[in-house]
Amino acid sequence: MRAAFSEALVRLAKADSNVLLLTGDHGYALFDDFRRECPAQYINAGIAEQNMVGMAAGLARAGFRPFVYGLSAFIPVRVVEQIKLDVAHDKLPVVFIGDGAGFVYSHLGTSHQSTEDIACTRAIPDLSVYSPADRFEVTACMNMAYQAKAPVYLRMGKSDRGDVHVAAPQVKIGRLLEVTPGKAGDITFIASGAFVRTAMNIAAGSYPDAAVWSAPFIKPINSKHVASICEKSRVVVVLEEHSVLGGLGSAIAEIASEFAPVRILRVGVRDRFSHRCGTYEYLLQEHGLDRPAIEQRIRDFLTAN
Amino acid sequence: MISQTKTFDTKALRKTVLDMAYAGSTVHIGCAFSIIELLAVLYRNHLRYPENDPHAAGRDYFVLSKGHGVMAQYACMRELGWLKDEAFSHYFADGSDLKGLSDSRVPGLETTSGSLGHGFSVGVGLAMGAKLRGTDQKTYALVGDGELNEGPIWEGALFAAHHDLKNFMVIVDENGYQAMGRTADVIKLGSIQAKFESFGFDALTVDGHDETAIDSAITQHWKSNSQAPKALIARTVKGKGVPFMEHNNIWHYTRLDHETYAQALSAVAGSVQ
Repeated sequence: MRAAFSEALVRLAKADSNVLLLTGDHGYALFDDFRRECPAQYINAGIAEQNMVGMAAGLARAGFRPFVYGLSAFIPVRVVEQIKLDVAHDKLPVVFIGDGAGFVYSHLGTSHQSTEDIACTRAIPDLSVYSPADRFEVTACMNMAYQAKAPVYLRMGKSDRGDVHVAAPQVKIGRLLEVTPGKAGDITFIASGAFVRTAMNIAAGSYPDAAVWSAPFIKPINSKHVASICEKSRVVVVLEEHSVLGGLGSAIAEIASEFAPVRILRVGVRDRFSHRCGTYEYLLQEHGLDRPAIEQRIRDFLTAN
Repeated sequence: MISQTKTFDTKALRKTVLDMAYAGSTVHIGCAFSIIELLAVLYRNHLRYPENDPHAAGRDYFVLSKGHGVMAQYACMRELGWLKDEAFSHYFADGSDLKGLSDSRVPGLETTSGSLGHGFSVGVGLAMGAKLRGTDQKTYALVGDGELNEGPIWEGALFAAHHDLKNFMVIVDENGYQAMGRTADVIKLGSIQAKFESFGFDALTVDGHDETAIDSAITQHWKSNSQAPKALIARTVKGKGVPFMEHNNIWHYTRLDHETYAQALSAVAGSVQ
Protein backbone atom coordinates (compact mmCIF):
# COMPACT_ATOMS: atom_id res chain seq x y z
CA MET A 1 0.00 0.00 0.00
CA ARG A 2 2.80 2.39 0.88
CA ALA A 3 4.75 1.23 -2.15
CA ALA A 4 1.70 2.01 -4.29
CA PHE A 5 1.54 5.45 -2.72
CA SER A 6 5.22 6.12 -3.42
CA GLU A 7 4.93 4.78 -6.96
CA ALA A 8 1.92 7.00 -7.69
CA LEU A 9 3.61 10.07 -6.26
CA VAL A 10 6.77 9.56 -8.28
CA ARG A 11 4.78 8.83 -11.44
CA LEU A 12 2.63 11.96 -11.06
CA ALA A 13 5.66 14.12 -10.27
CA LYS A 14 7.67 12.86 -13.23
CA ALA A 15 4.73 13.53 -15.55
CA ASP A 16 4.04 17.02 -14.17
CA SER A 17 6.88 19.19 -12.93
CA ASN A 18 4.34 21.32 -11.06
CA VAL A 19 3.78 18.46 -8.62
CA LEU A 20 5.63 19.17 -5.38
CA LEU A 21 5.97 17.03 -2.30
CA LEU A 22 5.97 18.93 0.97
CA THR A 23 6.67 16.96 4.09
CA GLY A 24 6.69 18.03 7.70
CA ASP A 25 9.96 16.17 8.33
CA HIS A 26 8.23 12.81 8.07
CA GLY A 27 8.51 9.86 5.68
CA TYR A 28 12.13 8.90 6.24
CA ALA A 29 12.44 5.87 3.94
CA LEU A 30 9.11 6.35 2.21
CA PHE A 31 10.40 9.13 -0.01
CA ASP A 32 13.73 7.62 -1.05
CA ASP A 33 12.46 7.01 -4.57
CA PHE A 34 10.89 10.44 -4.81
CA ARG A 35 14.02 12.21 -3.62
CA ARG A 36 16.13 10.26 -6.08
CA GLU A 37 13.79 10.68 -9.04
CA CYS A 38 12.45 14.20 -8.43
CA PRO A 39 14.84 16.00 -6.07
CA ALA A 40 13.83 19.46 -7.26
CA GLN A 41 10.20 18.75 -6.39
CA TYR A 42 10.88 17.70 -2.81
CA ILE A 43 10.53 20.22 0.01
CA ASN A 44 11.07 19.31 3.63
CA ALA A 45 9.22 22.14 5.34
CA GLY A 46 10.53 21.14 8.74
CA ILE A 47 8.54 20.39 11.84
CA ALA A 48 6.20 23.26 11.14
CA GLU A 49 2.89 22.01 9.81
CA GLN A 50 0.94 25.25 9.98
CA ASN A 51 3.47 27.10 7.88
CA MET A 52 3.73 24.13 5.52
CA VAL A 53 0.02 24.23 4.70
CA GLY A 54 0.04 28.00 4.27
CA MET A 55 3.00 27.67 1.92
CA ALA A 56 1.24 24.93 0.01
CA ALA A 57 -1.61 27.36 -0.54
CA GLY A 58 0.82 29.97 -1.84
CA LEU A 59 2.51 27.43 -4.11
CA ALA A 60 -0.88 26.31 -5.43
CA ARG A 61 -1.84 29.91 -6.10
CA ALA A 62 1.40 30.21 -8.08
CA GLY A 63 0.37 27.22 -10.23
CA PHE A 64 2.00 24.31 -8.44
CA ARG A 65 0.33 21.05 -7.40
CA PRO A 66 1.44 20.44 -3.81
CA PHE A 67 1.06 17.09 -2.07
CA VAL A 68 1.38 17.78 1.64
CA TYR A 69 2.48 14.80 3.67
CA GLY A 70 2.37 14.25 7.40
CA LEU A 71 1.09 11.93 10.04
CA SER A 72 -2.68 12.01 10.21
CA ALA A 73 -2.56 13.35 13.75
CA PHE A 74 -0.91 16.48 12.34
CA ILE A 75 -2.05 16.61 8.72
CA PRO A 76 -4.99 17.35 8.84
CA VAL A 77 -5.86 17.57 12.53
CA ARG A 78 -3.25 20.09 13.65
CA VAL A 79 -3.85 22.30 10.64
CA VAL A 80 -7.60 22.19 10.18
CA GLU A 81 -7.86 25.97 10.08
CA GLN A 82 -5.11 26.36 7.48
CA ILE A 83 -6.81 23.73 5.33
CA LYS A 84 -10.15 25.48 5.68
CA LEU A 85 -9.03 29.06 5.18
CA ASP A 86 -5.89 28.95 3.05
CA VAL A 87 -6.76 26.02 0.79
CA ALA A 88 -10.40 24.86 0.75
CA HIS A 89 -11.87 28.37 0.72
CA ASP A 90 -10.27 28.90 -2.69
CA LYS A 91 -10.62 25.31 -3.90
CA LEU A 92 -6.86 25.20 -4.39
CA PRO A 93 -5.45 21.95 -5.80
CA VAL A 94 -3.62 20.75 -2.70
CA VAL A 95 -3.64 17.07 -1.70
CA PHE A 96 -3.15 16.29 1.97
CA ILE A 97 -1.77 12.88 2.83
CA GLY A 98 -2.43 11.84 6.42
CA ASP A 99 -0.37 8.73 7.10
CA GLY A 100 -0.59 6.36 10.04
CA ALA A 101 -4.27 7.10 10.67
CA GLY A 102 -6.11 5.19 13.36
CA PHE A 103 -4.01 3.15 15.77
CA VAL A 104 -0.96 2.53 13.58
CA TYR A 105 1.28 4.13 16.19
CA SER A 106 -0.14 1.90 18.87
CA HIS A 107 2.85 2.20 21.21
CA LEU A 108 3.26 5.95 20.97
CA GLY A 109 0.07 7.11 22.58
CA THR A 110 -2.57 9.71 21.87
CA SER A 111 -0.33 12.29 20.18
CA HIS A 112 0.29 9.99 17.22
CA GLN A 113 -3.08 8.28 17.08
CA SER A 114 -5.70 9.73 14.82
CA THR A 115 -9.34 8.79 15.15
CA GLU A 116 -10.99 12.17 14.64
CA ASP A 117 -9.41 13.26 11.35
CA ILE A 118 -12.39 12.38 9.16
CA ALA A 119 -14.79 14.17 11.47
CA CYS A 120 -12.50 17.23 11.39
CA THR A 121 -12.36 17.34 7.60
CA ARG A 122 -15.80 16.17 6.45
CA ALA A 123 -17.49 19.42 7.40
CA ILE A 124 -15.03 21.64 5.51
CA PRO A 125 -16.71 22.78 2.29
CA ASP A 126 -15.05 21.85 -1.01
CA LEU A 127 -12.66 19.40 0.66
CA SER A 128 -12.88 15.77 -0.45
CA VAL A 129 -12.00 12.94 1.93
CA TYR A 130 -10.62 9.63 0.64
CA SER A 131 -9.85 6.55 2.73
CA PRO A 132 -8.35 3.77 0.60
CA ALA A 133 -8.26 0.16 1.79
CA ASP A 134 -5.50 -1.42 -0.27
CA ARG A 135 -2.86 -0.71 -2.89
CA PHE A 136 -5.38 -0.67 -5.73
CA GLU A 137 -7.49 1.91 -3.96
CA VAL A 138 -4.40 3.96 -3.05
CA THR A 139 -3.41 4.15 -6.70
CA ALA A 140 -6.93 5.07 -7.75
CA CYS A 141 -7.26 7.66 -4.99
CA MET A 142 -3.92 9.26 -5.83
CA ASN A 143 -4.86 9.50 -9.49
CA MET A 144 -8.25 10.96 -8.66
CA ALA A 145 -6.80 13.40 -6.16
CA TYR A 146 -4.44 14.69 -8.84
CA GLN A 147 -7.14 14.85 -11.48
CA ALA A 148 -9.58 16.59 -9.13
CA LYS A 149 -7.51 19.81 -9.19
CA ALA A 150 -9.21 20.59 -5.90
CA PRO A 151 -8.51 20.08 -2.20
CA VAL A 152 -8.38 16.43 -1.13
CA TYR A 153 -7.56 14.77 2.17
CA LEU A 154 -6.26 11.24 1.58
CA ARG A 155 -6.21 9.13 4.73
CA MET A 156 -3.71 6.29 4.94
CA GLY A 157 -4.15 3.92 7.84
CA LYS A 158 -2.84 0.47 8.68
CA SER A 159 -1.26 -0.55 5.42
CA ASP A 160 -0.07 -4.13 5.79
CA ARG A 161 -3.31 -6.08 5.81
CA GLY A 162 -3.19 -7.18 2.20
CA ASP A 163 -5.39 -6.54 -0.80
CA VAL A 164 -9.15 -6.44 -0.58
CA HIS A 165 -9.54 -6.41 -4.36
CA VAL A 166 -8.20 -9.13 -6.62
CA ALA A 167 -7.41 -6.61 -9.34
CA ALA A 168 -7.66 -2.87 -9.89
CA PRO A 169 -11.37 -2.12 -9.52
CA GLN A 170 -13.41 0.20 -11.69
CA VAL A 171 -13.52 3.28 -9.53
CA LYS A 172 -15.99 6.12 -9.80
CA ILE A 173 -15.85 9.07 -7.50
CA GLY A 174 -18.30 8.79 -4.61
CA ARG A 175 -19.28 5.19 -5.27
CA LEU A 176 -18.64 2.28 -2.95
CA LEU A 177 -16.75 -0.75 -4.23
CA GLU A 178 -18.13 -4.24 -3.80
CA VAL A 179 -15.50 -6.58 -2.40
CA THR A 180 -17.77 -9.49 -1.43
CA PRO A 181 -21.11 -10.00 -3.21
CA GLY A 182 -24.01 -10.87 -0.95
CA LYS A 183 -27.66 -11.82 -1.07
CA ALA A 184 -30.32 -9.14 -0.98
CA GLY A 185 -32.07 -8.98 2.36
CA ASP A 186 -29.09 -10.06 4.38
CA ILE A 187 -26.49 -8.13 6.36
CA THR A 188 -24.41 -5.56 4.53
CA PHE A 189 -20.99 -4.55 5.73
CA ILE A 190 -19.62 -1.17 4.73
CA ALA A 191 -16.10 -0.34 5.78
CA SER A 192 -13.09 1.79 4.90
CA GLY A 193 -9.35 1.52 5.25
CA ALA A 194 -7.91 -1.37 7.19
CA PHE A 195 -11.34 -2.36 8.48
CA VAL A 196 -12.46 -3.54 5.06
CA ARG A 197 -10.27 -6.57 5.69
CA THR A 198 -11.90 -7.01 9.11
CA ALA A 199 -15.35 -6.88 7.54
CA MET A 200 -14.34 -9.44 4.90
CA ASN A 201 -13.00 -11.81 7.55
CA ILE A 202 -16.12 -11.54 9.70
CA ALA A 203 -18.41 -12.00 6.72
CA ALA A 204 -16.47 -14.98 5.40
CA GLY A 205 -16.44 -16.65 8.80
CA SER A 206 -19.90 -15.92 10.12
CA TYR A 207 -22.17 -14.34 7.52
CA PRO A 208 -21.60 -16.06 4.16
CA ASP A 209 -24.55 -14.31 2.52
CA ALA A 210 -23.49 -10.84 3.61
CA ALA A 211 -22.22 -8.27 1.12
CA VAL A 212 -19.08 -6.31 1.90
CA TRP A 213 -18.47 -2.90 0.43
CA SER A 214 -15.41 -0.71 0.64
CA ALA A 215 -15.94 3.03 0.86
CA PRO A 216 -12.78 4.74 -0.39
CA PHE A 217 -14.68 8.01 -0.76
CA ILE A 218 -16.02 9.37 2.48
CA LYS A 219 -16.76 12.64 0.73
CA PRO A 220 -18.15 13.15 -1.78
CA ILE A 221 -20.23 10.03 -1.33
CA ASN A 222 -22.92 9.01 -3.77
CA SER A 223 -26.15 9.17 -1.76
CA LYS A 224 -28.17 7.26 -4.33
CA HIS A 225 -25.65 4.46 -4.37
CA VAL A 226 -25.56 4.25 -0.59
CA ALA A 227 -29.35 4.35 -0.42
CA SER A 228 -29.64 1.56 -2.99
CA ILE A 229 -27.31 -0.59 -0.91
CA CYS A 230 -29.21 0.15 2.29
CA GLU A 231 -32.54 -0.66 0.64
CA LYS A 232 -31.38 -4.18 -0.12
CA SER A 233 -30.09 -4.80 3.40
CA ARG A 234 -31.71 -6.25 6.49
CA VAL A 235 -29.22 -4.40 8.62
CA VAL A 236 -26.06 -2.46 7.85
CA VAL A 237 -22.84 -2.74 9.82
CA VAL A 238 -20.32 0.04 9.27
CA LEU A 239 -16.74 -0.54 10.41
CA GLU A 240 -13.96 2.00 10.59
CA GLU A 241 -10.80 2.74 12.50
CA HIS A 242 -12.11 6.16 13.45
CA SER A 243 -14.47 7.66 15.97
CA VAL A 244 -18.10 6.68 15.55
CA LEU A 245 -18.75 10.41 15.73
CA GLY A 246 -18.45 12.07 12.34
CA GLY A 247 -16.82 9.33 10.31
CA LEU A 248 -18.02 6.86 7.67
CA GLY A 249 -20.67 5.42 9.98
CA SER A 250 -22.12 8.86 10.46
CA ALA A 251 -22.07 9.54 6.72
CA ILE A 252 -23.92 6.29 5.96
CA ALA A 253 -26.42 6.86 8.75
CA GLU A 254 -27.13 10.39 7.55
CA ILE A 255 -27.94 9.16 4.06
CA ALA A 256 -29.91 6.13 5.20
CA SER A 257 -32.03 8.11 7.62
CA GLU A 258 -33.09 10.40 4.81
CA PHE A 259 -33.45 8.04 1.86
CA ALA A 260 -33.47 4.41 2.99
CA PRO A 261 -34.07 3.90 6.70
CA VAL A 262 -32.46 0.72 7.98
CA ARG A 263 -30.93 -0.31 11.29
CA ILE A 264 -27.25 0.58 11.27
CA LEU A 265 -24.57 -0.60 13.68
CA ARG A 266 -21.66 1.79 13.74
CA VAL A 267 -18.51 0.00 14.77
CA GLY A 268 -15.61 2.30 15.47
CA VAL A 269 -13.83 4.10 18.24
CA ARG A 270 -16.26 5.10 20.91
CA ASP A 271 -15.83 8.55 22.40
CA ARG A 272 -12.57 7.76 24.18
CA PHE A 273 -8.79 8.03 23.97
CA SER A 274 -6.44 5.06 24.27
CA HIS A 275 -5.52 4.43 27.87
CA ARG A 276 -2.58 2.07 27.50
CA CYS A 277 -0.12 1.08 24.82
CA GLY A 278 0.80 -2.16 23.12
CA THR A 279 0.65 -3.82 19.74
CA TYR A 280 -1.88 -2.72 17.15
CA GLU A 281 -3.90 -5.82 17.99
CA TYR A 282 -3.75 -5.01 21.69
CA LEU A 283 -5.05 -1.53 21.10
CA LEU A 284 -7.93 -2.79 18.98
CA GLN A 285 -8.86 -5.01 21.92
CA GLU A 286 -8.70 -2.09 24.32
CA HIS A 287 -11.18 -0.25 22.13
CA GLY A 288 -13.39 -3.28 21.60
CA LEU A 289 -12.43 -3.43 17.95
CA ASP A 290 -10.82 -6.85 17.82
CA ARG A 291 -12.66 -9.43 15.80
CA PRO A 292 -14.29 -11.36 18.69
CA ALA A 293 -15.57 -8.15 20.28
CA ILE A 294 -16.97 -6.90 16.99
CA GLU A 295 -18.64 -10.25 16.31
CA GLN A 296 -20.26 -10.14 19.74
CA ARG A 297 -21.55 -6.64 19.10
CA ILE A 298 -23.02 -7.76 15.79
CA ARG A 299 -24.75 -10.72 17.43
CA ASP A 300 -26.16 -8.45 20.13
CA PHE A 301 -27.33 -6.02 17.49
CA LEU A 302 -29.03 -8.70 15.45
CA THR A 303 -30.87 -10.14 18.46
CA ALA A 304 -31.75 -6.75 19.94
CA ASN A 305 -34.70 -6.28 17.67
CA MET B 1 -17.78 55.40 -12.27
CA ILE B 2 -14.33 53.92 -11.99
CA SER B 3 -11.65 56.12 -10.56
CA GLN B 4 -8.41 56.15 -12.53
CA THR B 5 -6.41 58.77 -10.68
CA LYS B 6 -3.71 56.42 -9.33
CA THR B 7 -2.04 59.11 -7.28
CA PHE B 8 -2.58 57.17 -4.08
CA ASP B 9 -2.86 60.48 -2.27
CA THR B 10 -3.00 59.54 1.38
CA LYS B 11 -5.62 62.14 2.25
CA ALA B 12 -7.87 60.73 -0.45
CA LEU B 13 -7.22 57.17 0.70
CA ARG B 14 -8.12 58.05 4.29
CA LYS B 15 -11.26 59.81 3.11
CA THR B 16 -12.26 56.70 1.20
CA VAL B 17 -11.76 54.61 4.34
CA LEU B 18 -13.87 57.01 6.38
CA ASP B 19 -16.59 57.10 3.74
CA MET B 20 -16.85 53.34 3.56
CA ALA B 21 -16.57 52.88 7.31
CA TYR B 22 -19.40 55.34 7.80
CA ALA B 23 -21.48 53.82 5.01
CA GLY B 24 -21.05 50.33 6.40
CA SER B 25 -20.99 51.32 10.07
CA THR B 26 -17.83 49.26 10.44
CA VAL B 27 -14.93 48.95 12.85
CA HIS B 28 -11.14 48.53 12.38
CA ILE B 29 -10.60 52.11 11.22
CA GLY B 30 -7.45 52.49 13.31
CA CYS B 31 -6.04 49.27 11.82
CA ALA B 32 -6.46 50.68 8.31
CA PHE B 33 -5.07 54.12 9.09
CA SER B 34 -1.73 52.84 10.33
CA ILE B 35 -0.92 51.27 6.94
CA ILE B 36 -2.14 53.96 4.53
CA GLU B 37 1.31 55.32 3.69
CA LEU B 38 2.79 51.83 3.38
CA LEU B 39 0.13 50.78 0.89
CA ALA B 40 0.30 54.07 -1.00
CA VAL B 41 4.04 53.65 -1.58
CA LEU B 42 3.73 49.97 -2.49
CA TYR B 43 0.96 50.47 -5.02
CA ARG B 44 2.38 53.69 -6.44
CA ASN B 45 6.03 52.70 -6.77
CA HIS B 46 6.62 48.99 -6.35
CA LEU B 47 3.84 46.50 -7.02
CA ARG B 48 3.80 45.41 -10.65
CA TYR B 49 0.50 44.31 -12.16
CA PRO B 50 0.93 43.73 -15.91
CA GLU B 51 -1.97 45.25 -17.85
CA ASN B 52 -3.29 46.50 -14.50
CA ASP B 53 -4.71 43.01 -14.04
CA PRO B 54 -4.98 41.82 -10.42
CA HIS B 55 -4.83 38.23 -11.71
CA ALA B 56 -1.87 38.75 -14.07
CA ALA B 57 0.36 35.67 -14.00
CA GLY B 58 3.59 37.64 -13.62
CA ARG B 59 2.36 40.06 -10.97
CA ASP B 60 4.08 40.83 -7.73
CA TYR B 61 2.22 39.40 -4.78
CA PHE B 62 0.98 41.61 -1.99
CA VAL B 63 -0.50 39.63 0.89
CA LEU B 64 -2.35 41.55 3.56
CA SER B 65 -1.78 39.14 6.40
CA LYS B 66 -3.32 41.55 8.90
CA GLY B 67 -6.71 41.43 7.25
CA HIS B 68 -8.12 43.92 9.71
CA GLY B 69 -6.55 46.74 7.68
CA VAL B 70 -8.37 45.75 4.50
CA MET B 71 -10.21 49.05 4.08
CA ALA B 72 -6.87 50.71 3.32
CA GLN B 73 -6.30 48.15 0.59
CA TYR B 74 -9.81 48.60 -0.80
CA ALA B 75 -9.08 52.33 -1.04
CA CYS B 76 -5.96 51.63 -3.12
CA MET B 77 -7.79 49.12 -5.29
CA ARG B 78 -10.40 51.74 -6.01
CA GLU B 79 -7.69 53.98 -7.44
CA LEU B 80 -6.51 51.11 -9.60
CA GLY B 81 -10.01 50.79 -10.98
CA TRP B 82 -10.44 47.28 -9.60
CA LEU B 83 -13.37 48.26 -7.40
CA LYS B 84 -16.33 50.38 -8.34
CA ASP B 85 -17.59 53.31 -6.33
CA GLU B 86 -20.81 51.44 -5.54
CA ALA B 87 -18.77 48.88 -3.63
CA PHE B 88 -17.81 51.67 -1.25
CA SER B 89 -21.14 53.42 -0.90
CA HIS B 90 -22.79 50.03 -0.37
CA TYR B 91 -20.09 48.63 1.92
CA PHE B 92 -21.57 45.94 4.18
CA ALA B 93 -24.92 46.03 2.37
CA ASP B 94 -26.69 42.67 2.22
CA GLY B 95 -25.24 40.57 -0.58
CA SER B 96 -22.18 42.77 -1.12
CA ASP B 97 -18.73 41.37 -1.89
CA LEU B 98 -16.36 43.42 0.23
CA LYS B 99 -16.08 41.97 3.69
CA GLY B 100 -14.73 43.39 6.90
CA LEU B 101 -11.60 41.27 6.63
CA SER B 102 -9.57 40.45 3.54
CA ASP B 103 -11.07 37.73 1.36
CA SER B 104 -9.16 36.12 -1.48
CA ARG B 105 -12.24 35.98 -3.68
CA VAL B 106 -11.92 39.72 -4.20
CA PRO B 107 -9.59 40.27 -7.17
CA GLY B 108 -6.45 41.88 -5.81
CA LEU B 109 -6.56 40.22 -2.39
CA GLU B 110 -4.18 37.26 -2.34
CA THR B 111 -5.37 35.62 0.84
CA THR B 112 -8.23 35.29 3.26
CA SER B 113 -7.24 36.81 6.54
CA GLY B 114 -8.62 37.98 9.81
CA SER B 115 -7.52 34.79 11.40
CA LEU B 116 -3.96 35.93 11.92
CA GLY B 117 -0.69 34.27 11.07
CA HIS B 118 -1.91 32.83 7.77
CA GLY B 119 -0.86 35.34 5.13
CA PHE B 120 2.81 35.27 6.04
CA SER B 121 3.04 31.56 5.23
CA VAL B 122 0.99 31.92 2.05
CA GLY B 123 3.41 34.67 1.06
CA VAL B 124 6.40 32.46 1.74
CA GLY B 125 4.80 29.83 -0.51
CA LEU B 126 4.23 32.40 -3.27
CA ALA B 127 7.86 33.52 -2.98
CA MET B 128 9.08 29.93 -3.02
CA GLY B 129 6.98 29.35 -6.14
CA ALA B 130 8.53 32.36 -7.89
CA LYS B 131 11.98 31.12 -6.94
CA LEU B 132 11.25 27.62 -8.27
CA ARG B 133 9.96 29.12 -11.52
CA GLY B 134 12.90 31.48 -11.79
CA THR B 135 10.73 34.58 -12.19
CA ASP B 136 11.57 38.02 -10.84
CA GLN B 137 8.25 38.36 -9.04
CA LYS B 138 8.43 39.82 -5.57
CA THR B 139 6.21 38.92 -2.66
CA TYR B 140 5.27 41.25 0.17
CA ALA B 141 3.45 40.14 3.31
CA LEU B 142 2.16 42.87 5.56
CA VAL B 143 1.67 41.72 9.14
CA GLY B 144 0.63 43.50 12.28
CA ASP B 145 2.90 43.66 15.29
CA GLY B 146 0.23 41.98 17.39
CA GLU B 147 0.05 39.32 14.71
CA LEU B 148 3.64 38.41 15.53
CA ASN B 149 2.19 36.54 18.51
CA GLU B 150 1.20 33.85 16.03
CA GLY B 151 3.59 30.90 15.81
CA PRO B 152 3.32 30.12 12.07
CA ILE B 153 4.98 33.45 11.29
CA TRP B 154 8.16 32.28 12.97
CA GLU B 155 7.91 28.88 11.29
CA GLY B 156 7.70 30.69 7.98
CA ALA B 157 10.56 33.02 8.87
CA LEU B 158 12.84 30.06 9.48
CA PHE B 159 11.83 28.53 6.17
CA ALA B 160 12.24 31.77 4.19
CA ALA B 161 15.75 32.30 5.53
CA HIS B 162 16.77 28.67 5.08
CA HIS B 163 15.70 28.77 1.43
CA ASP B 164 17.26 32.18 0.70
CA LEU B 165 13.96 33.71 -0.35
CA LYS B 166 15.49 37.05 -1.27
CA ASN B 167 12.31 37.82 -3.21
CA PHE B 168 10.22 37.89 -0.03
CA MET B 169 9.66 40.96 2.14
CA VAL B 170 7.69 41.06 5.35
CA ILE B 171 6.45 44.48 6.33
CA VAL B 172 5.55 44.84 10.00
CA ASP B 173 3.00 47.46 10.92
CA GLU B 174 4.40 48.27 14.34
CA ASN B 175 1.61 50.44 15.68
CA GLY B 176 2.13 49.20 19.22
CA TYR B 177 -1.41 47.99 19.76
CA GLN B 178 -3.36 44.79 19.49
CA ALA B 179 -6.97 44.03 20.22
CA MET B 180 -6.85 44.23 24.01
CA GLY B 181 -4.18 46.85 24.52
CA ARG B 182 -0.56 47.76 23.97
CA THR B 183 1.61 45.01 22.55
CA ALA B 184 4.11 45.86 25.28
CA ASP B 185 1.48 44.97 27.88
CA VAL B 186 -0.07 41.93 26.20
CA ILE B 187 2.93 40.03 24.81
CA LYS B 188 6.04 42.16 24.65
CA LEU B 189 7.93 41.91 21.39
CA GLY B 190 11.19 43.66 22.18
CA SER B 191 13.11 44.64 19.06
CA ILE B 192 11.25 43.33 16.04
CA GLN B 193 14.20 44.21 13.81
CA ALA B 194 16.58 42.21 16.01
CA LYS B 195 14.17 39.27 16.03
CA PHE B 196 13.96 39.09 12.25
CA GLU B 197 17.71 39.61 11.94
CA SER B 198 18.29 36.71 14.28
CA PHE B 199 16.06 34.59 12.01
CA GLY B 200 18.30 35.45 9.04
CA PHE B 201 16.44 38.38 7.51
CA ASP B 202 17.92 41.67 6.36
CA ALA B 203 15.92 44.18 8.36
CA LEU B 204 15.33 47.92 8.27
CA THR B 205 13.18 50.10 10.49
CA VAL B 206 11.46 53.22 9.17
CA ASP B 207 8.84 55.79 10.07
CA GLY B 208 5.78 54.08 8.61
CA HIS B 209 4.11 57.37 7.76
CA ASP B 210 7.08 58.90 5.91
CA GLU B 211 6.48 57.94 2.30
CA THR B 212 9.96 58.94 1.17
CA ALA B 213 11.58 56.88 3.91
CA ILE B 214 9.38 53.87 3.16
CA ASP B 215 10.15 54.08 -0.54
CA SER B 216 13.89 54.39 0.10
CA ALA B 217 13.96 51.45 2.45
CA ILE B 218 12.06 49.18 0.06
CA THR B 219 14.34 50.21 -2.78
CA GLN B 220 17.42 49.68 -0.62
CA HIS B 221 16.23 46.19 0.25
CA TRP B 222 15.68 45.17 -3.36
CA LYS B 223 18.98 46.67 -4.48
CA SER B 224 20.85 44.52 -2.00
CA ASN B 225 22.79 41.55 -3.34
CA SER B 226 21.97 39.59 -0.21
CA GLN B 227 20.20 36.25 -0.59
CA ALA B 228 18.30 36.84 2.64
CA PRO B 229 14.60 37.57 2.89
CA LYS B 230 13.79 41.14 3.85
CA ALA B 231 11.99 42.68 6.78
CA LEU B 232 10.77 46.25 6.89
CA ILE B 233 9.62 47.32 10.31
CA ALA B 234 7.36 50.33 9.99
CA ARG B 235 6.84 52.38 13.13
CA THR B 236 3.28 53.57 12.80
CA VAL B 237 0.46 55.18 14.71
CA LYS B 238 -2.80 53.30 15.03
CA GLY B 239 -5.51 55.65 13.80
CA LYS B 240 -2.99 57.94 12.09
CA GLY B 241 -4.47 61.03 10.49
CA VAL B 242 -7.34 61.67 12.88
CA PRO B 243 -6.09 63.07 16.19
CA PHE B 244 -8.90 61.63 18.31
CA MET B 245 -8.22 58.17 16.89
CA GLU B 246 -4.44 58.21 17.19
CA HIS B 247 -3.00 55.97 19.89
CA ASN B 248 -6.56 55.29 21.01
CA ASN B 249 -7.34 51.61 20.76
CA ILE B 250 -11.06 52.19 21.07
CA TRP B 251 -10.95 52.86 17.29
CA HIS B 252 -10.18 49.20 16.79
CA TYR B 253 -13.82 48.71 17.72
CA THR B 254 -15.73 51.97 17.43
CA ARG B 255 -18.13 52.90 14.67
CA LEU B 256 -18.47 56.40 13.28
CA ASP B 257 -21.58 58.40 14.00
CA HIS B 258 -22.55 61.52 12.10
CA GLU B 259 -20.52 63.76 14.36
CA THR B 260 -17.31 61.72 14.56
CA TYR B 261 -17.51 61.11 10.82
CA ALA B 262 -17.63 64.86 10.15
CA GLN B 263 -14.81 65.53 12.61
CA ALA B 264 -12.66 62.78 11.11
CA LEU B 265 -13.25 64.03 7.56
CA SER B 266 -12.24 67.49 8.64
CA ALA B 267 -9.11 66.22 10.35
CA VAL B 268 -8.07 64.16 7.34
CA ALA B 269 -8.70 67.06 4.95
CA GLY B 270 -6.54 69.33 7.04
CA SER B 271 -3.78 66.88 7.86
CA VAL B 272 -0.34 67.68 6.53
CA GLN B 273 2.18 65.02 5.65
